[in-house]
Amino acid sequence: MRHRLTIGIAGAGGDGVVVLGSLLQRLAASQGYFSQMPRYYGPQIRGGASGVKLSLDTTRASVPADIADIMVCFNWEQYAELEQELPLGRDSVLFYDSAPPKDGIVLPENSFQVAFSETSKELTGKTAAKNMVALGLLERILDLPESPSKGAAIEDEASALLERNGLALTAGRRLLSEFPFSELRLSPPLDAQAKVVLHGNSAVVQGAIRVGCRAFFGYPITPASEIMEEMQERLSQGNGVFIQAEDEIAAVGMALGASLTGAKSMTATTGPGIDLMTEMIGLASGAEIPVVLVDVQRCGPATGIPSKLEQSDINHAIYGGHGDAPRVVLAAYDLEGCYRLLIESFNISEYYQTPVILLSDQRLGQTTVATSSDLFEADYAVVERKRPGREHQEQYRRYAMTDDYISPMALIGDQGLTYQVTGLAHSEKGRPSFDFANNQRMHEKRWQKLTPLRDRDELVRVFGREESRKGIVAFGSTAQFVLETVDDLGLQDELSICIPELIHPLPNRLASFVGSLEKLLVIEMSYSAQFYHYLRSQIDLPSDSEVYARAGGMAFSRKELSGPVTKLAR
Amino acid sequence: MSETSNYRTDVTPIWCPGCGNFALLNALTKTVLPNLGIPNHRALIVSGIGCSSRIPGYVDTYGFNSLHGRAVVIAQGAKLANPELTVVAIGGDGDFFSIGAGHLPHAVRRNINLTCIMVNNFVYALTKGQTSPTTPYLQRGEGPFLSLKFYPPVDPVLDMVSYSVSTRASFIAQGIATDVSNLTWLMEEAIKHKGFSFVSVLTPCVTFNPPWLFKTIRERASYLKEGEPVGLPDSSAEQPWPHDSSNITLALKLAQTPVGEKPHIGIIFRGRSA
Repeated sequence: MRHRLTIGIAGAGGDGVVVLGSLLQRLAASQGYFSQMPRYYGPQIRGGASGVKLSLDTTRASVPADIADIMVCFNWEQYAELEQELPLGRDSVLFYDSAPPKDGIVLPENSFQVAFSETSKELTGKTAAKNMVALGLLERILDLPESPSKGAAIEDEASALLERNGLALTAGRRLLSEFPFSELRLSPPLDAQAKVVLHGNSAVVQGAIRVGCRAFFGYPITPASEIMEEMQERLSQGNGVFIQAEDEIAAVGMALGASLTGAKSMTATTGPGIDLMTEMIGLASGAEIPVVLVDVQRCGPATGIPSKLEQSDINHAIYGGHGDAPRVVLAAYDLEGCYRLLIESFNISEYYQTPVILLSDQRLGQTTVATSSDLFEADYAVVERKRPGREHQEQYRRYAMTDDYISPMALIGDQGLTYQVTGLAHSEKGRPSFDFANNQRMHEKRWQKLTPLRDRDELVRVFGREESRKGIVAFGSTAQFVLETVDDLGLQDELSICIPELIHPLPNRLASFVGSLEKLLVIEMSYSAQFYHYLRSQIDLPSDSEVYARAGGMAFSRKELSGPVTKLAR
Repeated sequence: MSETSNYRTDVTPIWCPGCGNFALLNALTKTVLPNLGIPNHRALIVSGIGCSSRIPGYVDTYGFNSLHGRAVVIAQGAKLANPELTVVAIGGDGDFFSIGAGHLPHAVRRNINLTCIMVNNFVYALTKGQTSPTTPYLQRGEGPFLSLKFYPPVDPVLDMVSYSVSTRASFIAQGIATDVSNLTWLMEEAIKHKGFSFVSVLTPCVTFNPPWLFKTIRERASYLKEGEPVGLPDSSAEQPWPHDSSNITLALKLAQTPVGEKPHIGIIFRGRSA
């Protein structure tokens, strides 16, 4: 019996690869299994290659193994496109629909040609249900319940799909007369409580609703569109404002307008969208307008590879735009972080009256994760912006200097507190001012107000042996691969791993972590090592510092990272 | 109450003496806002960048002197989030019809209840006299548009009235800064209109326009009156038709008249309320 199992599924778009993976993930989640399922797809709207890699786990939502234990292949031609992301190993158990091309693919020892399409055709007249036949087979291997309706927490749509395809499922279960797969059995889950299944983009949405976001403005863009789509659904149910804008400039502009009236406002996009939003980010910083932007990073520059991950928006998030325009940058590294840090983004944005950019990436955003629903039940503080009291009437100064540099903010519509926002340098009253001393003071105000954030120790996660003088710093989804690799190599007691969730301003705990090291390794997915250079610009790094950085596209693998990690531990 | 009414802040405008923007500012603060009885805190004026975009700083309502071309998007966000506000977006020809032109058709089709006042002075004045999308076509040596004397605009004008009509804004009017009482009425009607309203204000730029330009516009201006024959340029072979502001087809015909030949002043089109 195993604690963990990775199942790869590859095919052409239309083969039902994602549906098969999702149903399997949800069925397993209903029994209490944790899982992660990244999606691999290309530029095609329909068709093209489509793959998933599902890791089922009894104790936690672990990253899928580099090489799948079980692989289902519906289409060899498309598999060739996915081979880098879904490699076959010697020990993989392979089920395939049609014979592989004569040369090229070396089939593993345990390879079985299974009549997925033919069975579907016999039963339904069409091959479309072949994914259901495969699901039946996988259910039997994994010993998942025969009747899906017995499983809890399966959505109506999925449930209906399973019921409609009962025949195909049953046929799939009976496909092989010999069944030598008992060693692929999974141990029972740690607890049988059904797990919730969602991806990072959806976690962002749930966080937004939880924290009271009332206005969303967006523009479709891969891989962030799910956030916009789900926000549309959520906000249309209540007292919310949603607009699919004409472009990203309009989206963030509308968010600023809504925020000034007091609505917690946000937008979500990826690199090219952040480019277009940059001028407005500067405006929000200078005029001290709360707004939250989620950047689900993808490969750049320009159009790059829209459906693949990278971590190369760091420079833009921290520095993008002209002038000195401070903003806060957070980065989630796991699903829980997408939820919690979205709440945190609003809390920081509202309290400090500043734009906050929450970095996610394609991997985090579009990987569905089955995890405990405790995620949503935890207690999260909700912070509101500081408002002027009665004493401010008549003499309201929007940008009044205060001890903490945060000025009470009137909402547009508040009686007796009218003021004029401007992108010009302005006085405490908000009036255009070309007084140079005032300009200096206002810069100091906007930068200094963020200083307390540096002490937010809880926004820096440290794993492994904290006293170790050899440490790794990584952020975003890359950090998950680092943790898994260190775990796999059994180096938890020799290395320390620091995962900052607060990127800018640079947290003191990150600085002290790095300061305590003799050997530092930074791992990131950016060709020019943006994060490493950011650290170098802010703090002294140990003389023995290395960076493992490369362009995005393919997620890191344990195999790939084991080189630099082992070298660090030596 | 002071002479400048309680809708003026104590900020001194940066405009040149004789600038058409003073007329607009006075109309807004002395007449439009008081007449409509809009409390200061219930109004939001959003502008972009340009001479006319300085207006929010001079009006004691909520205001936002924002980014070049983006007034109308910020205005929409604010109005959606707080529908009780009266929201007015103000900007120039460069603002609304060059850098921000992409936003207008979308504001029109959403038909959110706000008013867009486009102050057309035919030139980029804040940056000192460059060609704007509304600068009239001139022959080389004809002028002077001061800095444009030797390199006059060669591209045809983008006509804001025909643009607004073709995108079917639900309220379209054109006023002239030198006729404040008429402009006041147009702005009041625009603000009262429930839906996206567009007012083009023909405005002299005393520094960069050649003096003949606005003189010609004033001389040729034709006031639209419901049921009375519309004015047509001398070159037109058409028979003047009785003005009917509810008829989009007639509005399209009006929009075909180049503003330099026959500026139509009044309500060009008033569609159904949102």
